[in-house]
Amino acid sequence: MTSISTAFEAHQLMCEKNTLIAFTGHFDHLLTTLLLINIKNKLSSLESTTGIDRKVYSVLVESIENVSKHSLSGDEQQNNAILLLSKSEDRYTIVTGNHIINSEIPALKAKLDKVLNHNPTELKQMYREQILSKRSDENNAGLGIIDIAIKSGNMIKYEFKPLTELTSFYLLQTEITIQ
Amino acid sequence: MDSLIIEATDVSPEVLFNLTTNNFIISGKSRPENTGKFYIPIIDWITKFEENLSAQKLEIANNPPIVFLFKLEYFNSVSAKYILDIILMLKDFVVKGHEINIEWHYAESDDDMLDTGTEFSNMVNLKFDFIAH
Repeated sequence: MTSISTAFEAHQLMCEKNTLIAFTGHFDHLLTTLLLINIKNKLSSLESTTGIDRKVYSVLVESIENVSKHSLSGDEQQNNAILLLSKSEDRYTIVTGNHIINSEIPALKAKLDKVLNHNPTELKQMYREQILSKRSDENNAGLGIIDIAIKSGNMIKYEFKPLTELTSFYLLQTEITIQ
Repeated sequence: MDSLIIEATDVSPEVLFNLTTNNFIISGKSRPENTGKFYIPIIDWITKFEENLSAQKLEIANNPPIVFLFKLEYFNSVSAKYILDIILMLKDFVVKGHEINIEWHYAESDDDMLDTGTEFSNMVNLKFDFIAH
């Protein structure tokens, strides 16, 4: 149960980790739109000269949409995803996390590893092949992870934390270096 | 055939396909909730436009010249595939002998938007004019 001390501790931890945004809940389209408008304004004011705000924003959108794609449809507990955005001196870090059915992990893991093992030229080729391939889903181009990898210079990490026999928590982290 | 006008929202771009000026503009942000539902009518309109143009049903011919302007501030990867679909259709216009100019506008600090435009232009083998703001 939440208490004053839990809230205080959470706040202290977020400050310590230079957290700009911490959000947990169900990521539906309307809510993420409102969240993204807020984040966009925040990033624009932080990075008015560098242009890096656009890159961070773009990776954030793909990360959030990746959550929506792989989330469980079920009760509220299972829909409870997380988004963290933090900024240190030399980088932005975006982490998303959501519940996933264990049986979906091997395919997702294979897809992530395929992207992680490629250099920028190969990633561009992957993007090209994927975007030119026949569309199988009107609302999923299969480009999200490749796009994140290209824009971040492949600074991606992932983990699956086992929760139950049937489900795990899927965490995806992307870093964007401030140049 | 009428011009196509779609107002911008927080998640979808403004579309102004003007048959009087021959300026076809897609501008703003793109991450619609249902991407197919947003882009398929646009693609259908372009198909119809090309048919009318080829059948010489439209008086516009090539005067004023057809200019297709992409002025996108942001688009997600699902929208990217539809935008490429539109560009592939424009390539088909050129192959069929229609004269058409394509402008890819981007914010000067937005290297990713320039890279994506360059990549699309190379993929389809179609010349774009890149315009920084």
